Amino acid sequence: MPEKRILLKNCGIIDPRDINAYVAHDGFKAWEKARHALTPDEVVAEIDTSGLRGRGGAGFPCGLKWKLARQEAADEKFLICNADEGEVGAFKDRHLLQHDPFSLIEGIAIAAYAIGAQKAYIYLRAEYHYLSAGLKNAIDQTRQKGCLEELNITIQEGAGAYICGEESALMDSIEGKRGEARFRPPFPPSQGLWGKPTIINNVETLANIPPIILNGSQWFREIGTAQSKGTKLFSVSGDVAKPGVYELALGSPLKELVVDLAGAQDIKMVQVGGATGGIIPASMITTPLAYETVLGSGAVTVFDASREVLDFVYRTMEFLAEESCGKCTPCREGTEAMMEIIGRLTTGDGKQEDIQAIEDLSQTMMLSSLCGLGQAASIPVLDTLKYFRNDYENRIRQSVFLRSLRGQL
Amino acid sequence: MSDVKVRIDGREVTAHEGMTILEAARLVDIEIPTLCHSPDLIPSGNCRVCVVEIEGARTLAGACHTPAADGMVIQTRSPKVLTSRRATVELLMAGHTGECVTDVHTDQCDLRKLADHLEGGAPRFLMRKPRWYPIEEANPYVRRDMSKCILCRKCIGACQEIAKKNVYGIAYRGFASKVVVDFDDPLTTEVCRDCGICIDYCPTGALSKPAKRGGVQ
Repeated sequence: MPEKRILLKNCGIIDPRDINAYVAHDGFKAWEKARHALTPDEVVAEIDTSGLRGRGGAGFPCGLKWKLARQEAADEKFLICNADEGEVGAFKDRHLLQHDPFSLIEGIAIAAYAIGAQKAYIYLRAEYHYLSAGLKNAIDQTRQKGCLEELNITIQEGAGAYICGEESALMDSIEGKRGEARFRPPFPPSQGLWGKPTIINNVETLANIPPIILNGSQWFREIGTAQSKGTKLFSVSGDVAKPGVYELALGSPLKELVVDLAGAQDIKMVQVGGATGGIIPASMITTPLAYETVLGSGAVTVFDASREVLDFVYRTMEFLAEESCGKCTPCREGTEAMMEIIGRLTTGDGKQEDIQAIEDLSQTMMLSSLCGLGQAASIPVLDTLKYFRNDYENRIRQSVFLRSLRGQL
Repeated sequence: MSDVKVRIDGREVTAHEGMTILEAARLVDIEIPTLCHSPDLIPSGNCRVCVVEIEGARTLAGACHTPAADGMVIQTRSPKVLTSRRATVELLMAGHTGECVTDVHTDQCDLRKLADHLEGGAPRFLMRKPRWYPIEEANPYVRRDMSKCILCRKCIGACQEIAKKNVYGIAYRGFASKVVVDFDDPLTTEVCRDCGICIDYCPTGALSKPAKRGGVQ
């Protein structure tokens, strides 16, 4: 069995509505251990040595983030659980929220204890509204059990913007403002929500906390590769026989996930990490899934040979242009200009200079944009240009031919 | 307040703690172009024209909002910075539809001046459709030609922070973003009186004083 179920161990086995079922499966043991046997500093140190990195996509070391927030002297600190799973093709957090909400609540309780937060938010995306009642029930039951005495957890629902999954826009959204990226520094661990030290962790990151505390950081360090420890949830979709959520140890080859587990055939390319994720062509299908190579949020979309590369790139760019918050120039105008160029290529009106223009534009967006959306928006374009340059050049040749027919050379 | 030492374009600069890179650079007369920055307003960092290269950083940093930290090594005119800055201005020009685009001599538009200064050359980027909004003359004190707007948000900042009025806001997303009044309503005398402070801060002439009938402005 290649799957390694640590986060998914309860999913489908326990009743997500009943805390007793969770407690019977070692539930809240980690919380008790953290609370009675460890000081907050020891909890932070334990997470730091475990090598756990953020599971939302950026892969920032979780322990370091906590340490920064722990060091800050403030009257109030906040913890935010990022459940705004807006990434295209990502549905791993939904799986956890739906089937094992108590693991998340336990993780939140431990994290809040470690950094000294009195208030926690679960920022739930608008489309996951139907999970809100289940989550509320889990919070209430945990409180009745006496595990949330010093912590107030609020479920804050989003309003349907992709950008609000980005941490600074997410905080703006909670503050009641228009969700837009903020410039950094200051970083959230020093000045976040309402200017107070704030930790923002993904659902999956927080769900990783109880097993690490319970089994120790050394146990966690044994799983994975040098820079990527532990397991990761992958949500596989696209041209596969068995789409769904799979859990693999980090460093597992992509082939194992999409071919052996999900049953993909005749692969052309795989996008790992959602709309702004990297592209892996079929020839590199054995690439290990790890932070060192390609990972992102764990959304894996498989494209088979029937898919057209440029149509895919155009659709992705259309999505990103639509979802750009409109604050910074490179992203607001850049995604639009990129769409204009790729749109012309798809409709057969490309020019020789277009490839150079795409490369220059991508470089600017990557270097100057305010947040991850603009910085990563050109990754699918650059990656397809790298591996499928022929598709682009063919389109340009066809465009030249079409123009010659119209006498517009 | 303690001092921080930074190196900008090879020059040693001693700045106060809390100063931005832009302010530190201006101490030694190193000019970094800006569009959305004004010393009177809280920085917004949206135009990305003032980007500089900080040694060791993954991306470029906005000089108008990044605080100078001790030991920073900053390049304000490296090839990376200039390429990015030029492309950003080109992008803004591509979506900008003022008189300045055709009439080089108007000398009114800060964006046009910057584009000339950076010698971007012939535009490489186009927009699917340029911004085009009807001119709004509902208000006797402010004439709004939002086609010229480059969304620098200085009008919002000036209205909010100096006039304390909160008349303007941003609506819509991405390329369709627009500086609006309420729910994209006309700027009537109901919401805006005659302070006109936004006009002084507009870099492109999107906001201007209405021409008086029969007279020269």
